[in-house]
Amino acid sequence: MQTAASNSASLPAAQQAASVRTPGPIRHYGRYLYLAINIAILVFLLAPIAIVVVFALNPTPFIQFPPVGVSLRWFEKFFASRDFMHALWFSLEVAVLTTLSATILGASAALALARGNLPGTRLIVATMLSPLMLPAILTGLALFQTYVLLDVGRPTWGLVAGHTLVTLPYVVRTTLAVLHNFDTRLEEAARNLGASPLRTFFEVTLPLIKPGVLAGAIFAFIVSFDQFPVSLFLVSPGNETLPVTLFNYLKFDLDGTIGAASVVSIVLAFVVVIGLDRTVGLRSYVKL
Amino acid sequence: MMKALGPLSRRRFLTASASLGIGTIAAPYVARADDPTLRITGWGGKWGEIMKAEIGPAFENEFKCKLQIDSAFPYLPKLQASSRSAPIYDVMHTNSNEQWAAAEMGLVEPKIDAKLVPNLADVYPYAVSDKIVGVSIFTSAIGLGMRTDKGYGNITSWKELWDAKYNGVRGGYVIPVNSLGQAFLMMCGTLFGKGQTDLDAAYTALEKLKPIKIVDFTGAMEKMLLSGEVGLCVIHDSGIYRYDGQNQPTDFVSPSEGVLSLEQVLTITPGSKMKELANAYVNYMLRPEVQKRLAETVWYSPANKKVKLDAKYDAKLLTTPEKVSKLIQVDWKWYNERKDEIDQRVNRIFRA
Repeated sequence: MQTAASNSASLPAAQQAASVRTPGPIRHYGRYLYLAINIAILVFLLAPIAIVVVFALNPTPFIQFPPVGVSLRWFEKFFASRDFMHALWFSLEVAVLTTLSATILGASAALALARGNLPGTRLIVATMLSPLMLPAILTGLALFQTYVLLDVGRPTWGLVAGHTLVTLPYVVRTTLAVLHNFDTRLEEAARNLGASPLRTFFEVTLPLIKPGVLAGAIFAFIVSFDQFPVSLFLVSPGNETLPVTLFNYLKFDLDGTIGAASVVSIVLAFVVVIGLDRTVGLRSYVKL
Repeated sequence: MMKALGPLSRRRFLTASASLGIGTIAAPYVARADDPTLRITGWGGKWGEIMKAEIGPAFENEFKCKLQIDSAFPYLPKLQASSRSAPIYDVMHTNSNEQWAAAEMGLVEPKIDAKLVPNLADVYPYAVSDKIVGVSIFTSAIGLGMRTDKGYGNITSWKELWDAKYNGVRGGYVIPVNSLGQAFLMMCGTLFGKGQTDLDAAYTALEKLKPIKIVDFTGAMEKMLLSGEVGLCVIHDSGIYRYDGQNQPTDFVSPSEGVLSLEQVLTITPGSKMKELANAYVNYMLRPEVQKRLAETVWYSPANKKVKLDAKYDAKLLTTPEKVSKLIQVDWKWYNERKDEIDQRVNRIFRA
C-alpha cells in the first residue's frame, strides 16, 4: 500500500522528469500562450459589456468610438421614461414569480424523478428538458395559440407560465445533479431517530440539495428577466417586459437609452447574485 | 358587541385563499367587463408616446371606451394565430405591405366603408387607391438621406446612389425584412428597366450597388447617417426631419424621378365585435386636428387634404396635390406574391 510519504517523495522526481523533457524557454512560451488564450477569452466575454457601457455613457445619440465625453443623459431618459420603468418593474415581477414557480415545481419534479421509482423516468426527464431543445419563439407562438383557443387573452399568469416552461429545465437539471450524489442513508438516519418525513425533508434533504435548487433558481431568474422570444407573443398591451420594450424602442429610436437599459440589466443581475451570496452564501456552493 | 370569529379551519383557510387568488386574477377582467374595448396596433417611439398621452385618451373620453394598443411586434403572426371570428385586433395599423398580406389571407377587410367613415371623403386619392388595402392615414416619402458636410454637392436623382464615390458610405436595407428596402427594389426596376415589376433590371442594379452597408431597421440607418458611417442612403423623410432643430449635418433629398410612398394604413378585421367603434376610430384618426397633431409630432404627411400644418412642417411634408403627385405607390400585392423568390435572390446578391 502506498503511503502519503512515498507520494510526496515521488512528486519532486516527476517534476524533475518533466523539466528535463520541456526546456525552460518552451515552458515559458507555453505559459505565455496559456495566459494569452485566457486573456483573449476574457476580452471576448467582457468586450460586449464594455461596448454597452461606452454606448450608455457617450452623449451622442449614436455609437461613436472613441467616445466624445461622458454623460448620464441616457440613464436620465431611461429612468424618466414611464414605459421603461413600468417594463423594468414588470420584468422583475415576472422574473420573481417565475423563479418561485419554476423552483418549487422543478425541485419537486426532480425529487420525484430521483426517488419516486416512476415508470419511464428517462422519458419524463427528456420531456421536462424538451423546452430547451425547441426554438423559444415556437414555444411562445404555441402558448399564444393555446391561450387564444382557451379565450383567456394574454394574462400575466400566462406569461409567467410561459417563462416557467422554459426555465423549469434548469431547475430540474441542477437539482437532479445534486440528487445524483445524495447519500440517502442520511435521511434514513433522521427517520430512525424519530424525525417526521416533513422534518426530515426540511432539516436534512433540503439543506443538502440547496446548492442545486439555488443554482437552478438563479438560472430561472436570469433567463426569465432576459426572456424575449416567449414574451414577444405573450405580453399584453400595456404590460410589456423590458426586452420587448427595448426591441420596440430600437426599431424607432436607436440611441444610448438602449445602452443604459442594458447596463441597468447587467447591474441587476449582479445585485441578484451578490444578494444571494450575502443571504444564503453562494461561496459555500462554488463546487457546483 | 363584535361577533367573535370562529377558529380558522384548514378548509376555511384554503377556501379563503382560493377565493382571494381567483379574485385577484379576475379583478381586472371584471372591472373592464362593462367598458367596450377597442383593440388596435400601433407604433412605439414618438408615435406611441403621443398616442398614449393625448390621442388615445381623447378618443376614450369621447367614445366612452377603452383603447388597448398593442405596440409589440409582430402584429400579423398574432392576428393569424387568433380566431377569425374573434380576432385579437379590431383595427390593425401597419405598413401597406403587411396589410396586403393580411388582406390576401382574409384577416382584414380590403376596404373601408365611406358611409361609416365620413372623413374618407377628404383624403388624397393615394390614401384609398387600388394600391391600398383599408385607408392610408399618413405617408412618408422614401428618398435619399445625405450628409451635408462631405461636399457631395447637389444630389437630384436616385441614380446618384450608384456613383462610385459613395462606395463604403452607401446605405440600404435587408430587403426581406424591411419595407423601405422592398420599395427601393421596385424603384430599381423603374430606374433601370421597364418598370416596378422588371425584377431582372432591379437585381442587376442591386448587384452594382455593392459595396453597401445594409441594416434591418430604419432607426439604425438614421443613426448611421448621423454618425457619418453612411454618407448617402435610402431613407424616409421623417427619419431625417425628426432631427430638425438639432443642427445635424443631414438632409433629405426628394429625387426628380419621384419619392416612394411609405403608407401608415388602418384596416378593420372582419370578425371584429366592435365594428362601429372601429369605424369611429378610423374616422377619428382622419380628423384634421388629430392628423395635424400627429403629423407635427412624427413628421408624417397627413392623408386628409383639409389639414393645415404650421409653416415649418408645411414646407417639408407632402401637403398639396402637387407635392402628393410625386408619390410613387408600390404594388404590394404583386410584390407579396413573389416575395419568397425575391428574398432568395436578394439574399444571394448581398451574401456574395
